[in-house]
Amino acid sequence: MNGRQHVGLQKVSALAGTLRSSVGPVKNYKFILDEASGESVLVCSCFRIIENLEPRCAVGQLVHETVRAHHKGYRTGSGCLLFIAGAWSRAALACLQRGISVKHIIAAMSEGIDICRNVCTKSSVSLKDLAGMGKRTAAPPRLGLQRSEKPITGASRESAKVHEKCLNARGQRKVRLSRHFCETDDDVSQLPDVAVIAESLSHGCESAMKLAAEAAQMLLKTNKRRTGDPSFDVSKVTTCALPGLPEECACVVDGCVVLLSDERAAVAHVLKHQPLKVALVTGDLSQTYRHLGFKGLPAARVRERLDSSACSEADEWMEKVLKLLLDLEVKLILTTGLASQKVIQHCCQNNVLVVEQVSSSVLGIIAGSTGAVPVGYATQLTEPCVGSGVTLEIWRDLSGCERTPLTAVNISTGGTGGPVTAVITSHIRGKLQVLEDQFWACAHRLHHALKDGALLPGAGATEALCVRQLQKQAECRGVEDKGKTGSAAELYRGVVLQLMAEGLIEYAAAVMVNAGRFSAAEARNFVSENLRDFHSDEIDAGKCLQVVLESGREDGVFSAVKPDEAPTVKIYDNLSVKQEAWTRALDLVFLVLQTDAEIITGTGPETESNLMHL
Amino acid sequence: MQASVPTATRIKMNSSQTTSRLVKKSPSVCTDLPLSSSDVRDKLRLMKELLGSCYGPTARLKQVHNNIGGSVVTTSTSSVLLQAITSSRPVIGLIKSSVLNHVSRFGDCGLFAAVLCLSLVEEAARRGVGNSAAIRAYDRLLALCTGYLQREDCGCRVELDFCSSRSLIALARTVVSSKPTCVLAEPESAHIGRLAVRAFLLTVPCDAPDPVRLGRTVTVPVEGRPVLESAVFPGLLLDAPEHLCGLAGVRGPVRAVLFSASLAGDLGELGDGRIEVHAGVDTDAQILDRLLELGRQALEDGVKLFVCQKVIHPVLQHYLRCGGLIVIERVGVSLMEPLIQLTGAQPVATLHAAIPSAAYGEVHDVSIRHFGSKTMLHLHPAGETAVCSMVLCHRNETMLNELKLVCQKAEHVLRLTLREPWALLGGGCTETLLAAYVRHKSKNDAPEATSALGCSQTEYLLAAEAFCRSLESVAACLEHDGGASVIDLTHAHHWTLPSDVTEQHLEGGTAAALCGCGALESCQKKKWSYLNSECAEFSPAPLSTASPLRQPAVLDSFSAKVNALRVAVETANLVLDVRYVIQDVN
Repeated sequence: MNGRQHVGLQKVSALAGTLRSSVGPVKNYKFILDEASGESVLVCSCFRIIENLEPRCAVGQLVHETVRAHHKGYRTGSGCLLFIAGAWSRAALACLQRGISVKHIIAAMSEGIDICRNVCTKSSVSLKDLAGMGKRTAAPPRLGLQRSEKPITGASRESAKVHEKCLNARGQRKVRLSRHFCETDDDVSQLPDVAVIAESLSHGCESAMKLAAEAAQMLLKTNKRRTGDPSFDVSKVTTCALPGLPEECACVVDGCVVLLSDERAAVAHVLKHQPLKVALVTGDLSQTYRHLGFKGLPAARVRERLDSSACSEADEWMEKVLKLLLDLEVKLILTTGLASQKVIQHCCQNNVLVVEQVSSSVLGIIAGSTGAVPVGYATQLTEPCVGSGVTLEIWRDLSGCERTPLTAVNISTGGTGGPVTAVITSHIRGKLQVLEDQFWACAHRLHHALKDGALLPGAGATEALCVRQLQKQAECRGVEDKGKTGSAAELYRGVVLQLMAEGLIEYAAAVMVNAGRFSAAEARNFVSENLRDFHSDEIDAGKCLQVVLESGREDGVFSAVKPDEAPTVKIYDNLSVKQEAWTRALDLVFLVLQTDAEIITGTGPETESNLMHL
Repeated sequence: MQASVPTATRIKMNSSQTTSRLVKKSPSVCTDLPLSSSDVRDKLRLMKELLGSCYGPTARLKQVHNNIGGSVVTTSTSSVLLQAITSSRPVIGLIKSSVLNHVSRFGDCGLFAAVLCLSLVEEAARRGVGNSAAIRAYDRLLALCTGYLQREDCGCRVELDFCSSRSLIALARTVVSSKPTCVLAEPESAHIGRLAVRAFLLTVPCDAPDPVRLGRTVTVPVEGRPVLESAVFPGLLLDAPEHLCGLAGVRGPVRAVLFSASLAGDLGELGDGRIEVHAGVDTDAQILDRLLELGRQALEDGVKLFVCQKVIHPVLQHYLRCGGLIVIERVGVSLMEPLIQLTGAQPVATLHAAIPSAAYGEVHDVSIRHFGSKTMLHLHPAGETAVCSMVLCHRNETMLNELKLVCQKAEHVLRLTLREPWALLGGGCTETLLAAYVRHKSKNDAPEATSALGCSQTEYLLAAEAFCRSLESVAACLEHDGGASVIDLTHAHHWTLPSDVTEQHLEGGTAAALCGCGALESCQKKKWSYLNSECAEFSPAPLSTASPLRQPAVLDSFSAKVNALRVAVETANLVLDVRYVIQDVN
């Protein structure tokens, strides 16, 4: 490692730089071209970009690993993670250039992330307050002016009080949260409508969010009826991508939508609109299938093996399975594996519908709501394993749209917490993945909002609060403690915190630039000017609120798809997602910062010249 | 010198074509005095830099990967690093294997051994001590050190007090915080240190008859949860099977059966044997019938927990679940031993006989626990068993992997204390103290030593200086941020001066520093000397004369360090003793 020019940090910064145009609500599509194969992919989200770039170097892989782990859990916020990782890498580099030791950088940055996380929890708005505000803002059309007035109704006074609490008093967060956790049923009803939350979390993906909100509402309806639980279980949602239909056709369907070829579609037509018995199989539907871990007897080791052809064995098996299905009156088989063409044919002839490659989570949900028990082999089926009460509906005939005629069929369990399918449509096949990603991002945002029970002021407001707090801490303690100890650690602390704050400003500016109304320089100026305005003030609830609301009013800036439209929706971010993304970003920076050498094992292609051999 | 070896031929098969060709075999290469080659010396220096930069809690990390897209491991752990190193030079391979062997036996102090060994070789060459004289002198000095470390009045040894967990926790914490890849904050490393001690104490049986057999700690890694959610539980945690919805009907003492044989329905255990089958017999169905027969017996015998090391046939699983049993398959070979200890069951190794009644075991209770996205089945021990589970949580995979390594190391180190209930001062203090002691002793001892070793007095004193400098250089390796290492001239403890603090700060007492192990506070009366600078030799004063005396907060394993010292010196002697290297270059 060349002390002051840490290559690893530069790499992180460079990788993050490629994604500069992909943060925030307004994103550009990118083509990633594989020069070797000539294939290309259309990508939009940061996660897909990194995934398709497949960085080979050690740092690149570490970045990829971090983003993948975050994406697996949250499905959103990868761009924020990477951008911040890049920005804070630059901050760490700047520290190294000023001769600050790694130890001190780590200590100060750890403190920085604690400050940021604290700001997040303190500035978060609980969903209940949001509901109150929703009521208040519903009547007057111009909310910007209403803010400064004293709240009049009881509900709003209550909400303002809670605001004061959560924004001003530091120690009270727990109280607020604990009260939130032991909500009674009345409280549930006080939660804002999912649609309201959804709107404020759409971040530029309005249509995808509409779908996600619909799916959530559909599940919440049954959930609330049964358990009063206001959470949105994303594992009960599946997607079905349909090429060849206009994007407006996208919708949410109660049940599981699958695509069937012509032959099976005919069977579905026969079986529609009647309660059916269903069998669930976790293995392949074929005679030769054996469960995972089964080794079987190698033919060479068995003498005098049955010399009749394998074909007749298969026939025998087929007969057995068919007889079993008919005896049990099973009309629908769902399998997570594949079915051989022969099985499908035989089943079709007997009006039994076979659906392959059902995801195991869907299988689990259907098992739960129909009473069916999944089995490994079709031959294993018995009366108690069979579920009932499933209905089939022809959702849409797609024969005209595709070369191979397909029919979309909806398998539903009668609205008892069964799966919900988001049907995603586009004329452009390459865009389907992007739309699906957007849907999942939105669904997870809703899920986390309901799980956290709180939201963060969005549109850069939280970042602004963090920047302010970081700068405040950097200044005040730096001055106070210099006299006391003169320790270098204290001196550096201020510098490091200030640089971290710069990173957040960069992020806010990048989002504004992407929104299209600002140049890079203008955006930076705007952000720092805004910061300066309330910099001199003491923290007090009123001011904070104002800042939040002002940023709210500037939503037009951040989501300026249509600049002329008056902003009516406030923008929020997810609490846990943002905290997690920042923490992961900093962890990545720490690992790279502390690394000074790579050990390359084995015999890879040696491309670099500065290798030392042992 | 190149010695030629009779030329042989070998046949190289070209895989794509069937033609074969003869390739001349090149002669083996014999190298005389490998250490005199500048290439070898450079490589040894590079290795020392590489490993030295990984030493201690503020170390620099290394990314180990294969440059063709394999996974990247970020670490500063000697066992991982050394395994990744392959060298064309056998001398490096020698050092690598002897350090790895030490680590596998003692778990700790691998980097210490490697850096000390490389340093001893380097220092001897730098001072121009003849190899044979250096070897004999090093041997004598090693005996001096180990003799001192065994003495009652040894200044760097601390007796471990098993009545209180404080020193044990300090020992565990030193191990835990020695690897910066874990990125642990102060409270986090304290928490993990306490957990390590707790797990260790749970694995020590209370009133077992002789010989005492230590139990097991099974680690359960959970990614994506904060470190402070890590915990230790008595008993075992197994991954809960997917279909497990609740534990309705499973209460109180639970009868358990363990299968080590595969219940997949195949005859995998046959090996290469042949079987004869009559025409028309369906072997699969017959084996399945046998499996179901076993299942029926288990059901009738009141088994509630059915565990198999390998795969269980889905039909059998289904049958057992319908009977209300908890079925767990594919637990893996590593969990079998703790399962046997916990349940007292005998693993059933065949499916061709009835389950003997002696094979059944028992657990006190089962419950379900959730850790992040993981659902685990908790088996509570029926009696006093020394099996426990340690759930380790961390934010990402890299940190979690290192944390796992570190906890295993801590467990190992704590176990070693049962045999030798001492610890050594950490933070470099033991090294500087030993160096001061050896320097002082060897001066007085020189006339006697020279006659015993048959070398000149100058040579002996040079070798002794090389030995002391090597020890001190290991202590100095702890500092990576440009600070200076100093030693106080009364107790010979190790202190670090940050790069921006001058010596005046230290002398003036303004830096309020503690020594490496945390037993001493700096005060104005102390005299200082930079490490690796000339200073008058002195006899280190016993710790008890110091005031104010604090409890040392950084402790190293006694057994591991003493053995590492031995391994380092003996390996260095071996390296110095190598006369020829004969390499087959084909």
